[in-house]
Amino acid sequence: MAPKKKEEPKEAPKPKAPEPEPVKIPEFNPTEVVLEFTPEQIEDFKDAFQLFDRTPLNEMKITYGQCGDVIRALGQNPTNAEIMYVLGKPKAEEMATKMLDFDSFLPIHQHICKAKDRGTYEDFVEGLRVFDKLGDGTVMGAELRHVLASLGEKMKEDEVEQLMTNQEDSNGCVNYEAFVKHVMAS
Amino acid sequence: MVVSSSPTGIKNCKCLCVVICSLPAMRAALLIQRWYRQYVARLEMRRRCTWNIFQSIEYAGEQDQIKLYNFFGYLMDHFTPASSERNLISHIFRENNICRNVDWERYFCYKSIEVPELYSGPHLSFPITCSNAAELVEAFKNKQQLHSRYVLQLLGETWRLLRILPNISQISTSHSKEITICGDLHGHLEDLLLVFYKNGLPSSDKPYVFNGDFVDRGKDSLEILLILFSFLLVYPNDVHLNRGNHEDHIVNLRYGFTKEVLGKYRLHGKKILKLLQKIFSWLPLATVIDHKVLVLHGGISDTTDLHLISRVDRHKYVSALRPPKRKRQYRSGMTESDLEDDDPTSKPVDSSRRRVHSLTHSSSTGTRHEVQRRSLQGLNNRVTCSVEEELKERRRQAGLSQSYGDLRNSLANSDSDPDSGELLDSYGDEWKQIVDMLWSDPMPQDGCVPNEVRGGGCYWGPDVTEEVLRRHNLTLLIRSHECKQEGYEFCHNRRVLTIFSASNYYEVGSNRGAYIRMGPDLVPHFIQYQANRATRALTLRQSVGRTERSALRALREKLFAHKSDLISSFQEYDPENTGLISLGHWACAMEAVLRLGLPWRVLRSQLVGDTLDGMLDYQLWFRELAITEPNTELSNASLLETMYKHHSNLETIFRIIDTDNSGLISFEEFRQTWKLLSSHLQTEISDEAISDLAVSIDFNKDGSIDINEFMEAFRLVGGDLLQNEGDPH
Repeated sequence: MAPKKKEEPKEAPKPKAPEPEPVKIPEFNPTEVVLEFTPEQIEDFKDAFQLFDRTPLNEMKITYGQCGDVIRALGQNPTNAEIMYVLGKPKAEEMATKMLDFDSFLPIHQHICKAKDRGTYEDFVEGLRVFDKLGDGTVMGAELRHVLASLGEKMKEDEVEQLMTNQEDSNGCVNYEAFVKHVMAS
Repeated sequence: MVVSSSPTGIKNCKCLCVVICSLPAMRAALLIQRWYRQYVARLEMRRRCTWNIFQSIEYAGEQDQIKLYNFFGYLMDHFTPASSERNLISHIFRENNICRNVDWERYFCYKSIEVPELYSGPHLSFPITCSNAAELVEAFKNKQQLHSRYVLQLLGETWRLLRILPNISQISTSHSKEITICGDLHGHLEDLLLVFYKNGLPSSDKPYVFNGDFVDRGKDSLEILLILFSFLLVYPNDVHLNRGNHEDHIVNLRYGFTKEVLGKYRLHGKKILKLLQKIFSWLPLATVIDHKVLVLHGGISDTTDLHLISRVDRHKYVSALRPPKRKRQYRSGMTESDLEDDDPTSKPVDSSRRRVHSLTHSSSTGTRHEVQRRSLQGLNNRVTCSVEEELKERRRQAGLSQSYGDLRNSLANSDSDPDSGELLDSYGDEWKQIVDMLWSDPMPQDGCVPNEVRGGGCYWGPDVTEEVLRRHNLTLLIRSHECKQEGYEFCHNRRVLTIFSASNYYEVGSNRGAYIRMGPDLVPHFIQYQANRATRALTLRQSVGRTERSALRALREKLFAHKSDLISSFQEYDPENTGLISLGHWACAMEAVLRLGLPWRVLRSQLVGDTLDGMLDYQLWFRELAITEPNTELSNASLLETMYKHHSNLETIFRIIDTDNSGLISFEEFRQTWKLLSSHLQTEISDEAISDLAVSIDFNKDGSIDINEFMEAFRLVGGDLLQNEGDPH
């Protein structure tokens, strides 16, 4: 417990009691990232970047909100939290207004590309097996939908719908190996 | 991996009785979600690519059209009325206000047209009633055609009504009326029928605003017009039509409306088109709801002034692509009107204006037709050369032909050049306002710049929106003009709303259409739809895939049409003639030649098959593009290629030259078309090449060429590269 404060109105209040602090993750520093892309790859990224650039004057800029889309379109699959981290944890309203140019994008993309634990097909199937109560290779579609909408980085109802369309059989079950193949193939 | 440490997932699962709140479950959910988001992003990228392809081809076509029109304008400004080239095209510039309306009414009179007993289509009686209008909708739904007598009668009444309407309609949502606003329809009758089905027919309880681009591209443009006009006549206070950039006879030459009308009405098509030309020029330019919501087709610019616009004589702008000529005083005391082609006895103009010596210059001036015929037959190579040389010289001296961009710049710089007096006219100002309203597009950045992609209007930014809305005390701008995936889209902090009502615009499944319902609270509500039942059942991935295949087909046709330019460009990167280039160079060359602004590297996987160590065999690549060339004995490959590349320009010129709108042109006119095209493109097309071409064409018995047949005979057809028609998911 923190010691009681003396009557010193002008003094700033002492910091709160030492509850266990969460592990402090250092802020993302783009200058510390070493770019390992080849020039060919960079040209490829430029093209994709430009596709999301909606400036007719071709300023090679995208909004913060689009950054995750571009990285994913280029083949990575970060979580939203990872994206927010590399963007320097912007505020919600900044996502639509703050712009990112291509040079600032590269270290961000590099960091995501270097991250281990991308999740293989096996990881994916293992993950779904958690919900396979009968051990028969299927999960209940309804359960899966609920999980996706309420756990982790929650998906919206229409997103879940889009993902699950045509995946359930007449009993409402999803064969998850087929499901994983479906999601991983695009 | 940065693990999300939020405990919310755990808190919310208390409704599930099985053990979900465990770390493996959390991790599994995150994994699936990550992969899902990647899946969506990749699909989005493919969709954008496809969209880009269609849109850039579409806008490049519009830009092409405007360039062609500017070229004609250039001919008009710098050549004598006796010049044959000018004569071929001058009629499209002819002012219509020389004749009185009474004379025109006589010309458009329907009374002499008999309706045969065998006619099974709808009969209209005037003044038209709402059951008549409803009958018309039913008839068109059943694929019937309205008799030309009724068409002319209906159009005549419409013309008369439009003449008394103001440039800007003011409407209100009082009496709790909800207003329905529709965007571009582009000849998609099924979409209009779907809107009526979902929303009800127009009536005094159900007012509608139709925001332009009713015609072109789709195949039922005329039926849409007839329906809209009939409801306009029945409910003139409750149906409002705004002019779009496609309500323009010059644009119609290229984008299919002219062809549609002539095809459906062989005998009276020409009259119908002429009457429509007037009607288009008399369409109101904008609608304002409750003094707060502005509805117009294209957009605005930083100079948009509604007070100015409400005062213009809008019908002078028969085509938005060119300002109307005003009577100007020349030093010799003559006025511009003396130079008009309608006056067969053109006097020679002040010699201080540079003139071209034409073959007919010194001969006596007969009627316009005689002059034309004489100059057509009398032309020989020498004169042709001098015309082309003269053109080159003029271009060099005068700079670019007068284009919208030039006008804008000169208005900005207030350059005064006595020879091009047009630029100083207040007409220039008015014209710019109108073009901006019909052609502009919004952009995310602040500012206002010329819309060079389309070739007309400007790109305007959020600051311009704020300023123009503020200046006029408005709260919302509703416009159309751009196709949107979901049928509608907000931008500029929700102060600009795009509404687009033609679903499946680029391809079946490419986009939904939408319309707006708006009540006294002026909050827009959207209803979306897609006109093809089959497409509704497609998943997003399937419809993206289908649209993508269509776009790639169109793109491959374009690539093939530019084959020789592309090969030259590739060869620049292959100095040792190995036949191979790197993929990076391939992308550069593609953009340099086609200039479509497409992401070639992203498209690479779709356009290029196998490569050897990242090197592409370009000749082989062309062979694998799977383009079917028309079966022809024509050996002149470059002429063939010009035909593929400039397919639309060629067709436009044909239709312009075909003054009696018969769909047929003579061989001489055919030759003149090529001469015009070659002047415009600044390339050489020899008489010999044209004769070779003529030999390969199947002439009609009377020695005329059917334009439609000709264009079809020389069309490239792209096949599907992939055999499978799409995956089940």
